[in-house]
Amino acid sequence: MTIGAFSYLFKENVMYRTIEHIYVGAAAGYVISVGYQNLLTKAWRPLVNEGHWLVIIPVLLGLMLFGPYFGSKLSWTRRYPLSFIIGVGAGITIRSAVIEQLTKQLASTALPLRTVDNIFIVAGVLATLSYFFFTFKPTRTLTGVSEVGKWVIMITFGAAFGNAIMGRVSLVIGRVSFLFGEWIHLIKQ
Amino acid sequence: MELIRKLGEVDPRWLYVLLVLVVLIPMVSPIGLPINVSAYTSNAFALLDSLKPGDTVVFDFGYYVDGAPDVEPIAVALFDHLFSKGVRIVCVSYKNHGPMIVDKLTEPHVKAGKEYGVDFVNLGFLAGGETALAAWAADIKKAYPTDWKGNNTSTMPILQGINTVADFDMFVFYTDDSAEVWVRQISQYKVPIIGGLITVTAPQAEPFLQSKQLAGLLVGLRGAAEYEKLMNKPGTASAGMDAQSMAHLMLIAFILFGNASYFIKRSKGLAGKGAAK
Repeated sequence: MTIGAFSYLFKENVMYRTIEHIYVGAAAGYVISVGYQNLLTKAWRPLVNEGHWLVIIPVLLGLMLFGPYFGSKLSWTRRYPLSFIIGVGAGITIRSAVIEQLTKQLASTALPLRTVDNIFIVAGVLATLSYFFFTFKPTRTLTGVSEVGKWVIMITFGAAFGNAIMGRVSLVIGRVSFLFGEWIHLIKQ
Repeated sequence: MELIRKLGEVDPRWLYVLLVLVVLIPMVSPIGLPINVSAYTSNAFALLDSLKPGDTVVFDFGYYVDGAPDVEPIAVALFDHLFSKGVRIVCVSYKNHGPMIVDKLTEPHVKAGKEYGVDFVNLGFLAGGETALAAWAADIKKAYPTDWKGNNTSTMPILQGINTVADFDMFVFYTDDSAEVWVRQISQYKVPIIGGLITVTAPQAEPFLQSKQLAGLLVGLRGAAEYEKLMNKPGTASAGMDAQSMAHLMLIAFILFGNASYFIKRSKGLAGKGAAK
């Protein structure tokens, strides 16, 4: 399967398409089995074997998601579970995002300018933020600072792209290690 | 000059072949390039090494198998390290490939004598993404009344005295995604969090390290190799480091050739006119 997948790099071919279908099929089969396991342990057993009747509420909400598949007249059933999912999800995420990603990050950026690292962090954040002032005509000073901000962003993108390459090379190493280590035994494990 | 121009126009398929060779040769015949341990890895190692026998740690598996070659060597190294110290490990899964990955990684340790339900447990996958993570962090046994194999969690020895995430001694997550989800939902419990991330997303997690919302960071295959070095137990990650360095050299060379080729063509008035060939 690994060779079949890599064959796409040479050109699109039947072997690659076959492997692609097998992969999608196997992944779908696995997800179905995990879903079945979840239904069994989180819904069926608590409801039927242990008598936890309140479990019927999430089960019904879950079933209502499938309403539209039984005709357009039942499409309204999906709105209620979706509203619930979005409401709970937003409530849980937004509260934590404000505290953990905004307030604490702001606090950790307000650093004493005693070290070179701290000066770079504070100046980099301020310059980058100044690049995103769009609501008024920039002065000469602001243009200069935002130009520095642009360079900070570019360097960040460069570092992120370097890391992306390193990550992709790791994936190649993983497959080469499998092919020539576990399969052909050319690489000593 | 002509050679550089031609190298910049080489068929990408030759580059793929060359990349495989450049990766394969150092793996067959290791060069032994030095591995320098970064401060991130040594800090994470020091934290994990400070755990005592009987301490309990969460391993949250938040990656799919396609990201495994980059992040899984970290999990392998940490399983080896913590099990050798007698630390107990509770495995949960934020993504549905998790339970399968946990079974695979714990298999050699079961053969070595680690007991399921006492030394470790695979609680399985809980659907619901971040909402599910928040739910089990607040009440682990309510979210997981049974483990992946259907055993009752309330009577399981490893989970005695553990009700919320705050009751664990450390929280380790492995992900092919960003670290934000764990920072948002777990850092409020004041349990030290260590992230094992794929190399691609690691830079996004660094601000959380500076703000101390993450206690440690292990970055991809390189982080795993550094960790293996600190353990004095070279494994799969260390074996791949020579290959990684050589592949980087090759890519740097071809980026330089590509740029040089472009400027040579531009100087001759050929760039951007489709006249490269």
